[in-house]
Amino acid sequence: MDRCLAGGIPCESITEIVAESGSGKTQLCLQLALLAQLPPSLGGLSASSIYLHSEFPFPTRRLHQLAAQFHAHHLQDLIATGRDQRYDPMDGILVQSIHTADQLLDIMPQTESFLQNSQTQFPVRLIVIDSIAALFRSDFDNTSIDLMKRSSLFFKISGKLKSLASRFRLAVVVTNQVVDYVGDGMNGLKIGNLEELYSSGRRVCPALGLAWSNCVNSRLFLSREEDEKANNCSVERSEEDGGFGSRTTRRWLHLVFAPHLAPSSCEFVIRREGISGVDR
Amino acid sequence: MDPWKLPISSAIQRKRLLSQSYTSHASASPSDLACADRASDVIYLLLIEPQVITSKFSVFSFLFVIGAQNAWDILLEEESMTRITTSCAELDKILGGGISCKEVTEIGGVPGIGKTQLGIQLAVNVQIPSYYGGLGGKAIYIDTEGSFMVERVLQIAEACTEDMTEYGRFLGKSIQARQVEMGPKDFLENIYYFRVCSYTEQIGLENYLDKFISEHRDVKIVVIDSVAFQFRQDFDDLAQRTRVLSAMALKLMKLAKKFSLAVVLLNQVTTKVIESSFQLALALGDSWSHSCTNRLILYWNGEERYAYIDKSPSLRSASAPYSVTSRGIRNSSSNS
Repeated sequence: MDRCLAGGIPCESITEIVAESGSGKTQLCLQLALLAQLPPSLGGLSASSIYLHSEFPFPTRRLHQLAAQFHAHHLQDLIATGRDQRYDPMDGILVQSIHTADQLLDIMPQTESFLQNSQTQFPVRLIVIDSIAALFRSDFDNTSIDLMKRSSLFFKISGKLKSLASRFRLAVVVTNQVVDYVGDGMNGLKIGNLEELYSSGRRVCPALGLAWSNCVNSRLFLSREEDEKANNCSVERSEEDGGFGSRTTRRWLHLVFAPHLAPSSCEFVIRREGISGVDR
Repeated sequence: MDPWKLPISSAIQRKRLLSQSYTSHASASPSDLACADRASDVIYLLLIEPQVITSKFSVFSFLFVIGAQNAWDILLEEESMTRITTSCAELDKILGGGISCKEVTEIGGVPGIGKTQLGIQLAVNVQIPSYYGGLGGKAIYIDTEGSFMVERVLQIAEACTEDMTEYGRFLGKSIQARQVEMGPKDFLENIYYFRVCSYTEQIGLENYLDKFISEHRDVKIVVIDSVAFQFRQDFDDLAQRTRVLSAMALKLMKLAKKFSLAVVLLNQVTTKVIESSFQLALALGDSWSHSCTNRLILYWNGEERYAYIDKSPSLRSASAPYSVTSRGIRNSSSNS
């Protein structure tokens, strides 16, 4: 995955992760928040992260599981950065729940002064917003006035995030949901090099429309497909799987657009220890 | 003679004369004529008092040298005006050689079509030395979105260096003898990069550009990426936004003319509701669309990227395919 992204998630820009639910957006974000604590030599930023979540509940148990694995695996590296033996990686992730877009805008000045005044050895260098789409789901009708209001909120939020990213050299990761491709109007607009985005066998597009697409620097798309593989040694049909053979979920990461990368894709899996790429 | 009594058709013109304090013909001294902002004001004065012409004829002829040009001179100037190549032959062809200096060009398209790539390519290509057919100038890159990734600029600069070396080899050793090798590092050094995070910073920077370019006369291109982003946030008064944008556009046009450089504005795309159907339009509104001299629209046609000349005073509407490669903007691969 790092090869696909020429090193990983860049700093001083907004990277958007678009996927349908259950594709691994939150997994990837949790993992990034942990990996950011590693030293730069291992691809981290030696930094803490701020995790703003708008979808409930926050996956505390999963984070705990990932953090325990992370701690066990990287203890020496963490100590090398100057952390204590008993350091808990979960301490390096500051979690805040947000419910509306206005609330997100309201906490920006707070975040800015926090970033400015924090004296810790491990400053915040990653902000995750999971997800941006959930903030805009309820408050806006489909009238043109509301859509314009919604658009200007996109630019305000994005402008503020980019300004923070530039000033404090942060990486900003935002997750977004998908909507079904309807086939008329702007839904089918081709953005980025990928002709169409498919996930779970249906055509989808990122939520929040063209206006939001203009607000992010890079877009990653996670897709999943149910792969039906014929079970080689099944002679009898079992009742459990209805005789269709074993089903596996295959997952891909696609780069839709980025200012510094050519479009590419790679396969990945989600395991207990987290997300890892598949070398095929 | 009292301007109020003059046989001048409209009251506005009368008011203009008064506002310039020409209360009587006697007060129009030669120095006043020399300082008149507009030739039209001078003509009004000369219509009033024909004696002014004969007695101040020397001033009159002197006046036509200040700020005025005849069309023949303009033609000669335009023919010698250099253009900045886009590194794509098809695109250069429809642009008449490339992006023209002394003019403001707007380039718009959906996200991911290659606006930033084209902006970076132009910022690199403006530096190509004159013995390779380039301008040998420097570039100013104003980034409002954070899309400027240095690794990518380095990649494009390296490809440009390689292309130049190969071209030099093609031309023969005589060129190589006197050339100073330009490496990728030199290319990066010649791009003045500014990052702005709000529309007030953007306007402030544009006001400062005049002074900056006066001190760095070899700047030959100003790229703003993108001009729309900071202005699409909540503007309470859209009329104010239009005024601010018009003033900005005027300033940029003056800059282009004064220093003979190219101004390239990258713009975003938005949806417009026309007769209850959605259509794509460039951001910043209809009045902004009048502000640029040239407009290039980048769009997808199937799997290919195309550029379309939407507005130009001298070029005909045409489309050309191009591609974005690891080396930068290049010809479309499907072309023979």
